[in-house]
Amino acid sequence: MAHAHTSDTAHHDDHHDQPATGIKRWLFATNHKDIGTMYLVFSLIMFFIGGAMAMVIRAELFQPGLQLVDPVFFNQMTTNHALIMIFGAVMPAFVGLANWMVPLQIGAPDMALPRMNNFSFWILPFAFTLLLSTLFVPGGMAAGGWTLYPPLSLQTGDSFPMLIFAIHMMGASSIMGAINVIVTIMNMRAPGMTLLKMPLFAWSWLITAYLLIAVMPVLAGAVTMLLTDHFFKTSFFNAAGGGDPVMFEHIFWFFGHPEVYIMVLPAFGIISEILPTFSRKPLFGATSMIYAIASIAFLSFIVWGHHMFADGMPVAAQLFYMMATMLIAVPTGVKVFNWTATMWRGSLSFEPPMLFAIAFLFLFSIGGFSGLMLAIVPADFQYNQTYFVVAHFHYVLVPGAIFGIMAGVYYWLPKWTGHMYNMTLAKWHFWLSAIFVNVLFFPQHFLGLAGMPRRIPDYAVQFTDWNMVSSIGGFAFGLSQILFPIIIIQCVRGGQKATAEVWADTHPTGLEWTLPSPPPYHSFTTAPVIP
Amino acid sequence: MSASYTSVKDGSLRRRVRNGALGLGLVAVALYFGFMALLVYRSHH
Repeated sequence: MAHAHTSDTAHHDDHHDQPATGIKRWLFATNHKDIGTMYLVFSLIMFFIGGAMAMVIRAELFQPGLQLVDPVFFNQMTTNHALIMIFGAVMPAFVGLANWMVPLQIGAPDMALPRMNNFSFWILPFAFTLLLSTLFVPGGMAAGGWTLYPPLSLQTGDSFPMLIFAIHMMGASSIMGAINVIVTIMNMRAPGMTLLKMPLFAWSWLITAYLLIAVMPVLAGAVTMLLTDHFFKTSFFNAAGGGDPVMFEHIFWFFGHPEVYIMVLPAFGIISEILPTFSRKPLFGATSMIYAIASIAFLSFIVWGHHMFADGMPVAAQLFYMMATMLIAVPTGVKVFNWTATMWRGSLSFEPPMLFAIAFLFLFSIGGFSGLMLAIVPADFQYNQTYFVVAHFHYVLVPGAIFGIMAGVYYWLPKWTGHMYNMTLAKWHFWLSAIFVNVLFFPQHFLGLAGMPRRIPDYAVQFTDWNMVSSIGGFAFGLSQILFPIIIIQCVRGGQKATAEVWADTHPTGLEWTLPSPPPYHSFTTAPVIP
Repeated sequence: MSASYTSVKDGSLRRRVRNGALGLGLVAVALYFGFMALLVYRSHH
């Protein structure tokens, strides 16, 4: 509860009015801004660790043949790159943004459950230290892919129980974070802030939080059953004992497909905040945007089979999953058209958040279109397990989710720090990222269509040229990300003072812009009244 | 009305927050054990 932060208890708890000093501020943090900052810093560190693994992958794939790493280590890199980027970089970044912005956007003084908030953050460093430490145990890191399909994943060495425990901790952290978001939004909104008046970012997070609570326990259940199959001779997924390995795939993707939307719905919310601001127009069809997010979230539960077309399934099931998957294009199309209509005849300006938002719009759509191609059953039989799939989901996750996060950081960073950042450097960051993300991932479509398999460290010589191009794009994209922490650190340390509205000539809407920049340590101790 | 005031003084808000968190937590726990129970059931039928 937020009682420690209240004005009526202030005379008892004066020390809560100001942040504690030193390590205690962070270790015992209950303030949503401090916890948000910790999540964001943590996710940035994980982004670079996961990125370093991607560089190993691209370096090995620069040429055909085996040159830098042995195949097992290559597979360890692909597996852990995914786990770290998904659970360590993208998800914590969005939780960090939620921590910072949801209370500010709904006029709440803090998250509803600040101590649980602290706990859910501090689980993560332990989870990822455990995961990364598997590099040093006999047998090395898990190498069976982030999907952990048995029986392959059951061949993991001593790192297996560590991996499972790390996943459990990540899941527990996510579930607690999601509970906090829902309870905060449902109970702590300022008077007059009806659900339909709530900003789109808060809305997108409300729906995402329900998705998290629905699917993270399913993943936890699936990996628990893997654990008992491995150590306690159960046969949930062991065909020899009467189990069914394909059942794991069903359970995993029942989690895994909504997980994709967990990683992108908050980005939809961010883009829906940024485009109206820099178009100087209200969001087109705001209510339909909410219904579209809710529809996408619902549909995400009934399409998991499209990940398993090549496993073999009844034709009726193939048709159902194909149609249901294509149906997602309808609410997604509503969103893309609404964003475009928001910009239409707007008075556009191209500050870094807007640049990232526009790139999101174009490049996420490419990922969406390749997703539609993959939804077609006979086509999927060709694309399955090729680099086309890698290209597809990286378009969704890098210029989709990660550009969304970067857009959000560039949008709200002056609000958080009270300083404007170096716009020129941020534009350099954008252009380098936007160009090289395409150099990195677009050729992977060609490689996949030509038949290059994924998760293999070697390839036939005819794939050499596009792999070289992709690797060059990868190295350049990776290097250009170094600008991001430089810009953030510069901004934290000083710079031109930011006004309350930050983007003053755009007159952004939302409660966060009514507070000074940076906002006081305890904001909205008296709730604003929304007309 | 300040939500932070009410979190101290307004018992109903405190209850709503607590019950909401407990309810959602129970849903998560039910899903965790429910899927495992479903597979155990399936393996016996």
